[in-house]
This record gives sequence, structure tokens and C-alpha cells, in this order.
Amino acid sequence: MKKTSIMKKITGAVMVMTLSMSLLTGCGSKSDKTLKVYNAGEYIDTDLIHDFEKEFDCKVVYETFDSNESMYTKVQSGEKYDVIIPSDYMIERLIREDKLQKIDWSLIPNADGLDENVLGLACDPDNEYSVPYFYGNVGILYDKTVVDEADLKDGWEILRNEKYKGMLYMYDSERDSFMIALKALGYSMNTTDKKEIDEAYEWLANQRDTMEPVYAGDDVIDNMISGNKAMAIVYSGDATYIMSENENLAFFAPEEGTNIWNDAMIITKDCTDTKLAHEFINFMLEPDNAYANTAEVGYTSPIIEAREKAAADDYADIDAYIPDMTRANDEVFRYQDSETKAYFAELWTKIKAAN
Amino acid sequence: MKHFRKMIWPYIIWAGVIVVLPLLMIILYSVTKGGNELLNIQFTFDNFKRMTEPIYVDVFVKSFKLGIISVIICLLVGYTLAYLITSFSEKVQSVLILVVTIPMWINTLLRTYAWISLLSDNGLINTVLVKLGFEPINMMYTDFAVVLGLVSDLLPFMVIPIYTSLSKMDHSLIEAAHDLGANKFKTFWRVTFKLSIPGVLNGVIMTFLLSISTFVIPKLLGGGQYTLIGNLIENQFISIGDWNFGSAISVILAFIILMSITFMKKIDKDEIEEE
Repeated sequence: MKKTSIMKKITGAVMVMTLSMSLLTGCGSKSDKTLKVYNAGEYIDTDLIHDFEKEFDCKVVYETFDSNESMYTKVQSGEKYDVIIPSDYMIERLIREDKLQKIDWSLIPNADGLDENVLGLACDPDNEYSVPYFYGNVGILYDKTVVDEADLKDGWEILRNEKYKGMLYMYDSERDSFMIALKALGYSMNTTDKKEIDEAYEWLANQRDTMEPVYAGDDVIDNMISGNKAMAIVYSGDATYIMSENENLAFFAPEEGTNIWNDAMIITKDCTDTKLAHEFINFMLEPDNAYANTAEVGYTSPIIEAREKAAADDYADIDAYIPDMTRANDEVFRYQDSETKAYFAELWTKIKAAN
Repeated sequence: MKHFRKMIWPYIIWAGVIVVLPLLMIILYSVTKGGNELLNIQFTFDNFKRMTEPIYVDVFVKSFKLGIISVIICLLVGYTLAYLITSFSEKVQSVLILVVTIPMWINTLLRTYAWISLLSDNGLINTVLVKLGFEPINMMYTDFAVVLGLVSDLLPFMVIPIYTSLSKMDHSLIEAAHDLGANKFKTFWRVTFKLSIPGVLNGVIMTFLLSISTFVIPKLLGGGQYTLIGNLIENQFISIGDWNFGSAISVILAFIILMSITFMKKIDKDEIEEE
């Protein structure tokens, strides 16, 4: 979901093929223990899956989704998974709909290494159901050779600065786009007040008409690495990866506040082998594994030891790698009731359909 | 013969389960509200009423325009290609048809990604242009990119039916036309083209169907703001989760396509009756 490049997609496809080939030829794990894991695309170091299979003598069926919403649609249509790694607001929704099992923290000794700032977020205050996987925030990735640093003091309003017309990638996501508009107007990103939402809609409609942004998906990663446009809305983890490939870029999260998010591992009610599911979660938090994972995908590990190592080594000088989780104006996305959700969805459809 | 009739039943049941049932579900969703689980449904026409909002009407108009443009380009290029192919010896013809179909062996997504790496602002074409001293051209996220992607994707669907009708044609008819004093253009128009009309119509119908309901190509080459009917439906189902509205759009699209096909089949019939 949050990270892709064409080359990676191709290598990914090849790997999936060889993986399924090796499964077909039945290379002989004698045990029939299986774990079905559902994660965002390009969001794991796939070597870890093989290591886990070897260490615990089991088979991991690994599938990927491209957004929380498509994950939810698939699960709702009856597909069963043991461990899923969605984002905070989606976890809150799954908790409310009673789809998750409680985590037995005594089975996850590696949780001792977790950063406390990433625990106890509003979506699951006591972490009864979720174990952090990666975290980060959302900000503006900009080309230092094109964007005047003085304009950055406008915060999110720089996205409506006509100097940069046609040089902008927005993120093709309803919640992230409305988050920007609401924060630029000084409101909460979790508002249910229709007047505020309408104002945010006007902000986005005005931006669409005056700035002609491209609402991009994951293609933004390749495009920013090639330096195609001057600014892009990206997650901090993508920013880290892109900046490590293109040194002209810098990342900033406006003072008016941004979204801080946390993607976490959850165990579904469908899971029968909960012991194996806990082993998997514990395995991903093991410092060396967490380091391999974060070094591979560029997202920030909640395991302090792994994060420090990556920050000192792989991502030295890239400030986007460690987002500040303690800023006053930042917020976590919360669950939206179906009426508010439908209202946002309709407005977002209109934003994108008008042209 | 009669006892063979029983053997049709498995097929009818199969078709009922995989074709008719989903269609009925879509129709049911389109006239109800109350979420995706069909537990607490209420009948309503709100979903269709929503479609009359100018924004959604515009999406339909835009999709049709783009579909028609793609079909016309496909027809011009595809007809020429099919015509040229028939002028070769039969052995060469089969090789050339193979060449036309080879791109279909490769996944659409991969082909579209190939276009991205060609067309993007720092892509192959622009790199060459800059090296040669020209200004780079902005091609990605434009109508041009989307039409190009659609045409290259759909061309085989146009070429093959036209080629089939052309290659079945009796060559002596052309000789007869020449003998009777028709010039080259007249022979082509009155004999060759006329006889290839069934192939042309099949090609037009297929490319039109595919181009009007596409969503991957406009999404990748046109960007997220490039909303066609296919994208609208995909959004309603996948990211927004409003299956009722999504189904209503699908029903309207299906109805319009049905009308267009009936219309085109009628042309076909009239042409034959004229003979």
C-alpha cells in the first residue's frame, strides 16, 4: 500500500512465482501448520517469511492488499486470514465489529523493545488487540531545487500556492486529502461537523481547479525519485525511501498538524492456531528481524533497537525516518460512523469526478 | 436427438449460478439501500436519482467520448493493418496475425507500466528528446496517454475480426469489379469494405465494450483524477464500500451498452437486407 516501485513489483511477481512453484513441488515441510497473513503490498522483507517458515516448521500463506478499504471489502466478503496488518482507524472499526481476538502479551516477549510513544494510541488505548508493526506520519516531500524554503512557512497552504501550479502530486486517498484540507482550515481531521466538512470540500475543490494536481497512488514513489514534480504528499516511510534515492528532496510535516498513523498486527476471530499467530507477531518484533524489515521497506520500526540501528546506518541524515509522535496538533484517524463516512465518500467522489 | 436435450441442464445450471445470479444480485443492490450485507434492505430509487447529478452525467459523457475516440482510432489503424496483412501470402499472414496477438499474452498491467516508463516526464521518450535538444513534452496524465494506452491494448480485438472477414472474401469478386470498370477506390468501397462490415461491426462492438468499462488504464495513465465510469464503479465497490450506488451505475452502464449493441446489430441487418 505504502511503498512500491516498478522494479520491486516485477521482482515481487517473480518471487511470488518461484514461491508458489516451490510450494507446488512440495519441497516437503512435513507439518501442515499454516498461517494466513494479509499485509499491505511491498510492506515486508520477504526473507523473513521464509525464515519464519523454517524456524517454526509451518507454511505461511502471504497475501497483500492495496488499501485498508480493499482489505476490509475482501474480509467482509468471507475470505479468512489469521494475521492482518491494517492501519489504526481500520483496526478500530474491526474492534467495534467484534472481528478480532485479544492479544496475549505474555506470548510476545519481544514487545519489551517497543517504543512507548507508539503504544496506547486512541484507536486501541490499551493495545488489547493490536501490536505495532510500523508507524509514521504524513507530510510534504519537496524538491529543494524548485521549492522556495520561505514558502514552507505557509504550512499546508503551500499546496494552494499558484507558483507551483501543475507541479504537485496529491495522494489518491479520501481520508488523507480531507485531513490536509481540515488541518489547513484549523479543524480536527476527525470532525463530524458537516459545515467544517463542506469547507474542507471547498478547499479541495478550489485546489483542484487552481493547482491542477495529479491524484497519484504508489506511482508517486517512482515519479518523485525521477524528480518529475516539485511536491508530493507522502507517508514518512515512503519519504525516507524516496529521499534515500534522490538527494534533492526534503520532507516536512506542517505545524498546523498532520496525521500520525500506526499500522499494527492483529489476530482475527477466524484464527484457530493462535499460538502460531503470536509466534509470528513475536518473530516480527525480534530486533534483528525488525531491523531487516525496516531497512528493506523504509518505514519506521516501533522497536527502538532496530530503529536506532537503521537511523544510524541505512537512513543517516534522513530526518523523515523518525517522525515526531509527540507534537500537539497531530492526530490519529478515528473510526467514522457510517453516515459521516458516506458523506466524506460522496464529496471525495465529486472531487475526483469533476473535470 | 431429443435425448441429448437433457445434457443441456448442467450448462443451464452452471450459467444460472455464474451469470444470472450475480446479475440479479447487482440489480437487487441497485434498487435497495441498507448496506452490503442484504440483511436490512429497503427498496429505493435514490441510487438512480443520484446518477442524474451533473457531475456523474459528465463522467458518462466523458467515458463515451473517450470510448468513441479510441474505437475510431482502433478502426482506422486496425483496418489498415488487417488489409495489409491479407495482401501477404498465407504463410506470412499467420505469422503476422501471431505478431498482432503476442501483446495479448502479456498482462495488461505490465503493458501499461511499460507505457508509463516511456511516457513519464523523465521517461524514455523525453530523455531522448532532451538529448536531441528539444523541449520535453508532458504526456503522462493526459487524454493522449489514456487514448494511447487504450488503443494499443484494444487493437488486436479490432484487427482479428476484420482480418477474418477479409480473408474469407472471394478474390474473384474484386477481379469482377475491375472487369466491370470500377476503379480501385470504388472496388474497395463497394466490394471489399462492404463484405468486411460484419467483421468491422464485431470489432467495433468489442473495442467499445472494453474501452467504456476499463478502469486500470485510465487510473495508471490518467492519474487518480481521471474518472471514467469504470473508475467510478471500482471506487464505489473497493474503496468506498457503497455497493448499492456502484450497482446502480453498473446497471445503467449495462443498459446503455445493450442499447448500443442493438443499434449496431440493426445496422448490420440493414446492410444485409440492402443487398
